[in-house]
Amino acid sequence: MPTSPRSSRRDFLKTASAAVAVPYIITSTALGNQNVPPASDRIVMGGIGIGNMGGGDQGAFLGRGDVQYVATCDVRKNVRENSKSRIDKHYNNQDCTAYNDFRELLAREDIDAVHVATPDHWHAIMVIEACRNGKDVYCQKPETLTLREGPLMVDAARRYARVVSGGSQRVLEDYQGVVNKIWSGEIGAVKSINVNVGPLSQACNLPAQNQPDNIDWELWLGPAPWAPYNEARCSGSFSTSGNSWRSYIDYSGGGMTDWGAHHFGGATFAIDVRDLQPAEIVFNNDNGHQHLEFRYPNGISLTHNKPGQGNLQVEGDGQTRAPKPVPVYKGSGGIYGDFIDCVKTRERPFRDIEFAVNSVALSHLGSISYRLQRSLKWDSAAQQFVDDAEANRYLDRARREPWQI
Amino acid sequence: MLEQALTALKAYDWGQDPKTLSPIDEAIVASHGDAAKRRELEDQLGAVLTTADATYDGKQTACRYLMAIGSAACVPALAALLPDEKISHMGRYALERNRAPEAAAALRDALPKVSGKLKIGMISSLGDRGDDASVTALGELIGEGDAAVASAAALALGAIRTPAAAEALSKASPSAEVQPAVTDASLACAEALLAAGKKIDALKIYKKYAGESQPKHVRLAATRGMLACAGKQE
Repeated sequence: MPTSPRSSRRDFLKTASAAVAVPYIITSTALGNQNVPPASDRIVMGGIGIGNMGGGDQGAFLGRGDVQYVATCDVRKNVRENSKSRIDKHYNNQDCTAYNDFRELLAREDIDAVHVATPDHWHAIMVIEACRNGKDVYCQKPETLTLREGPLMVDAARRYARVVSGGSQRVLEDYQGVVNKIWSGEIGAVKSINVNVGPLSQACNLPAQNQPDNIDWELWLGPAPWAPYNEARCSGSFSTSGNSWRSYIDYSGGGMTDWGAHHFGGATFAIDVRDLQPAEIVFNNDNGHQHLEFRYPNGISLTHNKPGQGNLQVEGDGQTRAPKPVPVYKGSGGIYGDFIDCVKTRERPFRDIEFAVNSVALSHLGSISYRLQRSLKWDSAAQQFVDDAEANRYLDRARREPWQI
Repeated sequence: MLEQALTALKAYDWGQDPKTLSPIDEAIVASHGDAAKRRELEDQLGAVLTTADATYDGKQTACRYLMAIGSAACVPALAALLPDEKISHMGRYALERNRAPEAAAALRDALPKVSGKLKIGMISSLGDRGDDASVTALGELIGEGDAAVASAAALALGAIRTPAAAEALSKASPSAEVQPAVTDASLACAEALLAAGKKIDALKIYKKYAGESQPKHVRLAATRGMLACAGKQE
């Protein structure tokens, strides 16, 4: 892997901040003040994939006084150049390096942490490679494209003791009414909760279009099967109905994983099963209305698109219970502050990668059940469907060479 | 309808409506548990791969279907795609998820016949399958001059994570460029050994990577591993 052509910015800044004889080369930004630590004490960050979500993530990290943002990466030339301009303007310097290839950014020894907001088919490769390079990672949701990727991402995070946070702020922030109702003990022991979300991703056979010069198409496709350039294929639109990569099976699980990461994440948090995966997925077809029931080993049922049920509609046994304290973000600044605080303290973040993987696993398990049109049994310890070789084929996909996890 | 869809598949091209192929998707679901129907469908899909004038899009879509239902029967047609730079990946796409021993054998057979990216593809698929039988070949590839191939072989051994894979990694003499992949794979093997109760073997690996010359995060991984071997909390 190529090494950075740049010397360590952190080392430079440490040297510079000690060089009192030449104070005129040290900006007030680098020195810090009462509210902002000196640059040498900030978390040095870079970002990969600076589209709709990545741009928002970048703004959040850039706005933090305890972060020094030094590198940006995108396979679209105009996007990465705009990103560099934004960062340089923020710091009033020209220090940010823009990369086309994420491996060059990850090889930089001066970078402590990265955020990843590429299309989903890149997440596992980048998160694992970041961990191998000793980086902490904030990865946008849905964190995985396949079931097999999840445990490998957790393995990499744990192996190198990295802080790896998933990127759904909605899990804690959007469902507080339901969360409080359950964690306060008001409705008693939870019997079931429902999630309404979809659709599944679809096959993509869009026609070839002229490939613009400003995109590295081979690197955009990466591990996905080869396909010709089409604007809708790689659009970062939030649509899941054909006008974006979020619509298509090679890059996304569709709305089932995209919003599913939020809703299933919120539901599993509300019913306190973030550390579990279901043991059974029951497929139902009521006169053409297809819906699922995920059965957890602790007896709780999580339904998907159950007729007559609202999103995150919960049912308890009515026996009031003692309240439990609701977990919250650490630090300040929402989910971004939670991540940065954990980078400093080495604690696990609110949406720790293991919790993220478990919630997105519901999306994947459900999608497989819908595609096969039947019920499935799931051995979460073995990460295999039970006695079901056909379903096990959908656990993962061969990655296009030379990509590997 | 199915016959029409299979005919359409041979001429399938970018821009055509995927719904024209829906009868194939429906036939796959409907034939669950019916070995004879599955075999018939598999043969029909395999025939697309051997049709001289079938389109690239048609062949790669046939591979997607064979990922779902392929048995040993379709392996020869898929194996023929492996040396073809344009469609090698889709051959692996179908073979990697096919648990028939013939599928693994096809990937192993292709390994010495391809180079560069295609070789990395075979290595990756063998690793992802957890193919024990390829451990020796993968171990030898760590000494390969192509650092990308050597690194891929190391990572594949880390995916296989058997004692034999750990042994192959321990015997390797990687170049500096390949060392990070060997390190990561070795640590993965150590985790598997530890989980299997082989603490002495795991400890041997962790000690190797705990030295001051290692990057900080690697030393951290090794130290935590050594503590785990000793039964201590991190």
